[in-house]
Amino acid sequence: MIRISDLHKNFGSLEVLRGIDLEVSRREVMAIIGPSGSGKSTLLRCINYLEIPTSGEIVVDGVRVNREDLSRKAFQKHLNEVRTRLGMVFQQFNLFPHKTALENVTEGPVQVLKLDKKDAEARGREILERVGLADKADTYPAHLSGGQQQRVAIARALAMEPAAILFDEATSALDPELVGEVLKVMEDLARGGMTMLVVTHEMGFAERVADQVVFMSEGRIVESAPPAELFSNPREERTRQFLADVLDRR
Amino acid sequence: MLDWGTILHYFPFLLKGAVLTLEISVISLAVGLVFGLIAALGKLARNPLFRWPAAFYVWIVRSTPLLVQLFIIYFGLPQLGIRLSPFASGVLGLALNTGAYNAETIRGGIEAVSRGQIEAARSLGMSGALTMRRIILPQAMRLIIPPLGNNFIILIKDTSLVSTITLVELTLTAQRLIGSTYKPFEMYLMAAVLYAILTTASSVCLSLFERKALKGYGI
Ligand SMILES: Nc1ncnc2c1ncn2[C@@H]1O[C@H](COP(=O)(O)OP(=O)(O)O)[C@@H](O)[C@H]1O
Ligand SMILES: [Mg+2]
Repeated sequence: MIRISDLHKNFGSLEVLRGIDLEVSRREVMAIIGPSGSGKSTLLRCINYLEIPTSGEIVVDGVRVNREDLSRKAFQKHLNEVRTRLGMVFQQFNLFPHKTALENVTEGPVQVLKLDKKDAEARGREILERVGLADKADTYPAHLSGGQQQRVAIARALAMEPAAILFDEATSALDPELVGEVLKVMEDLARGGMTMLVVTHEMGFAERVADQVVFMSEGRIVESAPPAELFSNPREERTRQFLADVLDRR
Repeated sequence: MLDWGTILHYFPFLLKGAVLTLEISVISLAVGLVFGLIAALGKLARNPLFRWPAAFYVWIVRSTPLLVQLFIIYFGLPQLGIRLSPFASGVLGLALNTGAYNAETIRGGIEAVSRGQIEAARSLGMSGALTMRRIILPQAMRLIIPPLGNNFIILIKDTSLVSTITLVELTLTAQRLIGSTYKPFEMYLMAAVLYAILTTASSVCLSLFERKALKGYGI
């Protein structure tokens, strides 16, 4: 579903990604863990081209994302199509503050997928119900808690019926008591067969839900394994150190 | 002290001038908003072909007096074969002038919309233009409307300068009446009162509009 080969990204002279290879299969959940500044967000943002990769190849749903052969205009169009296939959930939610929860959810389907407004609204309500917010359809983001806002953001991504969803520390900006409700929604999605690439500091979630866990450090993938293996028996010293630090802090 | 008889007698003439002042203000406002939006988008464009002319326009207008701008349009352009009526000259000058200030206001509002909003919209597959129209501009409006209203109040007062290019609006009406009545105090005082009514009424309308435009943010 998502295949990345030899991905490099520099910010000026700073090498943030130094050759990333990974593959997420259909219906698979991959968790990416690693210390802050290791390039996790940059990796996710390169996949849907919010950052322009320096080199390497990204393929989503059989379609190559970075196409140097296209003209600027054709590439923008191609990119917009790819992006409709990829959901993105941000740490800061980034809900549209001038739109209600339902309008946030229907904006993409109506404006981009050109769905009929009535149909989009009916589906939007169903999706809001799925994330437990049926009663908040007409509420503006400013009147929702952080956890509710993030669930609307997930609903907004789901409404596009994406092939995969990218989560960038979806719970890191939340008060601790609100983390659970968002993780629960993500877990339900995973059980429902959604392909997910999840950057997270929630080791419990990674252990419980992920099929593969990837540990990143300094722009490289240090190791990658099923959670049972990576958490209980890490191969690399750096992974062991990181896990020890994280568990220590709790 | 005040000659109330004169005031009552000449009030309808001044009112007529005030109506023209209002017309000039509203048309210049509308045209100035279009100029402002185009120049703001130009200044934000990546392409220097759009950016430089927009930046030049804003710079030249903001660094020269409105009176000189009006003189160039009304007295200067005919030398190049471009002859505009006093009304057209006045509206063009005022619209160009307020447009440059509007451009800076609009650009500031657009730039203040957070990067995350743009990223969220683009992640849904929205094009740049769609993102601007559906996500950025509506949010920028909240920040833009109050200072734009302020620009409009300034514009109303600036219309008095078009009296110098023979446009018989409120100020020039007062001046002409002084020629026949020799009552400068009464005439200018009436003009001042009418300007105050125009600006105050506009302020009230603007704040009602603001309240309506900002409704829905739930804030
Ligand atoms: N737009 C940018 N410009 C310059 N440096 C950046 C930019 N974005 C991220 N970085 C740098 O890249 C490195 C990796 O950042 P990031 O991908 O956000 O890490 P993580 O998500 O793992 O914490 C950091 O050193 C960060 O400062
Ligand atoms: Mg990050």
